[in-house]
Amino acid sequence: MKVAYIFATQRHNVSYVLAKMILPQLEENRHGADVVGMFFFEDNNYVLVDGNPIGARLTKVAKEKGTLLMGCDQCCYEREIADTLFPGVPIGCFPDLYKALSGNMPDQVITL
Amino acid sequence: MTATCREACCSVTPRHTVSALFERGFRRNRAAPLPIEGAQLTDAEGNTARFSIAVVDGRIAGIGFRVSSCATLVACCEFIAETVPGFRPEIARELTATNLVAALPGVPALKRERAMLAVAAFRAVLASLSSFEQNGEISNESRLHLRHAAP
Repeated sequence: MKVAYIFATQRHNVSYVLAKMILPQLEENRHGADVVGMFFFEDNNYVLVDGNPIGARLTKVAKEKGTLLMGCDQCCYEREIADTLFPGVPIGCFPDLYKALSGNMPDQVITL
Repeated sequence: MTATCREACCSVTPRHTVSALFERGFRRNRAAPLPIEGAQLTDAEGNTARFSIAVVDGRIAGIGFRVSSCATLVACCEFIAETVPGFRPEIARELTATNLVAALPGVPALKRERAMLAVAAFRAVLASLSSFEQNGEISNESRLHLRHAAP
């Protein structure tokens, strides 16, 4: 099964759900689903800023598995981090996300 | 002479960050067009842009636009709308996409093509203005031209 994650809520989401659940499972190839994309809203985008330790692990796994990572463009502009993300990580809005996923569509989209 | 710092530290408003320009541009994008409208242009990704303009005493008095709801594109167009009024059209024509990119730090490389669409659409409304000035009014032929954007 192919899934895409949308990180829409904040608080413990990236540091816990992503960094301590999803990411270790992906690194150990035991997540149970193919993650074709991850989209980040609001403060969750800070994980994509170049140099973030969780983001470094995430981008490494994403590159190995062909997972799309994308930050919300308005969220990144608002935080003035749009041009400081890891190399190759784009920003965009829903049209960009759907277009980027169109070649590898998920079966389920899970909002976290 | 030292240029005014436009960063948040100096509390200068309005700020010319992409985010601040988008906030203001979002409202302008929904406003009624000004008297002279340019052609609607479309880029390879399907984004559209059309400017409108008002001229008083040979100077640009106001700029409006109606564009796709892309944050980068709205910010580019808003920057034009805020900075160009007061200039004569022949001066405004000199604005380039490179100028626009340089004026908007923080736009990642993949999104900088929006500046090209914004500037092309702005030049289109200046072309319509020239037609308006030559004919005294927007002729039917000009209206036809406005509705069929060049590729």
